[in-house]
Amino acid sequence: MSAPINVRDLVPGTSVVLADGAVAEIVTNPGDGMWLFARYLTSPRDPTLVGQEEMIFAPDVVALGRSAVV
Amino acid sequence: MAVNGKRGYRSGLLNLGVGEISREIFVNEDIYAEEQERIFARAWLHVGHESQIPKPGDYFVSSMGEESVILCRDRAGRIHVFLNSCRHRGMKVCRYDEGSTTVFTCPYHGWSYGTDGRLVGVPYFREAYHSRLDKEKWGLVEVAQLCNYKGSIWATWDTAAPPLTEYLGDFTRFLDLQLDGWDGREGQAEVLGGIQKWLVPCNWKFPAENFSGDTYHNISHRSVDLAGIGPSGAGRRDMGERDASRKLHVCIPDRGHQTILYVLPAGKLPPPAYMNAPIVAEYFRHCAEERRRRRGDESRLIGAPGEIFPNTALLSRQPRTMAAWHPRGPHQTECWRWFFVDRDAPTEVKQFLRDYYIRYSGPAGMTEQDDMENWNYAHAASRGTIARRHPYNYDQGRGTAVADYEYQGLRVPGEVIDLTEVQSSEQPMRNFYRRWAEFMEADDWSQLATWRSGERKAAE
Repeated sequence: MSAPINVRDLVPGTSVVLADGAVAEIVTNPGDGMWLFARYLTSPRDPTLVGQEEMIFAPDVVALGRSAVV
Repeated sequence: MAVNGKRGYRSGLLNLGVGEISREIFVNEDIYAEEQERIFARAWLHVGHESQIPKPGDYFVSSMGEESVILCRDRAGRIHVFLNSCRHRGMKVCRYDEGSTTVFTCPYHGWSYGTDGRLVGVPYFREAYHSRLDKEKWGLVEVAQLCNYKGSIWATWDTAAPPLTEYLGDFTRFLDLQLDGWDGREGQAEVLGGIQKWLVPCNWKFPAENFSGDTYHNISHRSVDLAGIGPSGAGRRDMGERDASRKLHVCIPDRGHQTILYVLPAGKLPPPAYMNAPIVAEYFRHCAEERRRRRGDESRLIGAPGEIFPNTALLSRQPRTMAAWHPRGPHQTECWRWFFVDRDAPTEVKQFLRDYYIRYSGPAGMTEQDDMENWNYAHAASRGTIARRHPYNYDQGRGTAVADYEYQGLRVPGEVIDLTEVQSSEQPMRNFYRRWAEFMEADDWSQLATWRSGERKAAE
């Protein structure tokens, strides 16, 4: 099991890989260390999610994708 | 302690006809518990001021009775007051005093709420709840009614409570003295700095009674007056305007609100004050003239300590503050004090008043320290078995209040005792406790809104 990612540090524009294999881009980070507002870029399990914005729970973030330029 | 099955507060504990009140109502734990249900869950309570949450996402954690609440402005700019407790297991969803956020997230299991109170984030919603949890049903608990009155935010948990302005009745006129600008414009107040909060080991009704208009305890502040903490370095700032005015006790009998009030003679402006600070003195001189131009005869009213039932204190003139007396058990009160200035007052004026206010009021204020000392020891000395057998005395001025009081053409509402010669009365306290007993005895607002049936009640 990989070390948990501190989602509190992630900035909008960063993409994250989720436990089910989906990839989402952070839209807003409320900074509570638990949640991210993110838009699905890919979703092999449920393609209808692509383009939708959802709240992502921190334990679901398993890896970082593209980092935002800040 | 005998509270009979019909809640005989008036017959057993309050005997206002002879001016006696049992100490039990201050120290008894059963009565305290009943107050939470019958008073704080039904009355309108002051929560904060809109200037504390100017932008979407801003919040201020306040209190309604014992319970923590969140005053916040949602993304659309609407103001809400929510119970600060997660719907899942009750954890506080906000543990800061104030700030700005997009969501309130419970640190226990992670349920997350938008600033409009909606449940927006549920961990493992699809997996553990199989997407079946009705999020609309499980948002933060919101107050039954909220009112933004000239920037001050009030709320009640009771859907049946009358609208705030009806709850205030004629006392609205005195709340206006607090919230309107010194120059007479409506709703110009803003909160100056942060909120001062401190604990006093006394029942919440001690400060509530004191701010109802206790002029009798002025001897407690004698040393402060001798030391001269006024902005001119001697005495009180307001002696000039007080000496020129009629000094009144004003009670709104069927509402339980009461205040001290000064009324200037017709055509007279407040005497000059703040003379050691020319910018401040000029500002108040200008405001007094503008106020008379805008408000006419009404500008003769000068506010002083008052109390909106149950636990909101006003002090509109010296200094300009509001306080809430939050119950924290029968033997402890958490005092919160807001300080106000006109929002477009010059910076020099605001800075000057900040120093003056803090020197006068709050936990470090010379005058409020005197009060705390009294409430602290009075409460402690009333808890014992022997002490509880002996009621307090509220005899001053019984039967001397008049309706339709008028001074040089200016009519004052409610029941009034002119203190200019008699110095002191306890009519405001009797008015406060009469209303207290009504709340403790009434089953619902149909019994509390007595004015709707035309049933006029005297304070005693």
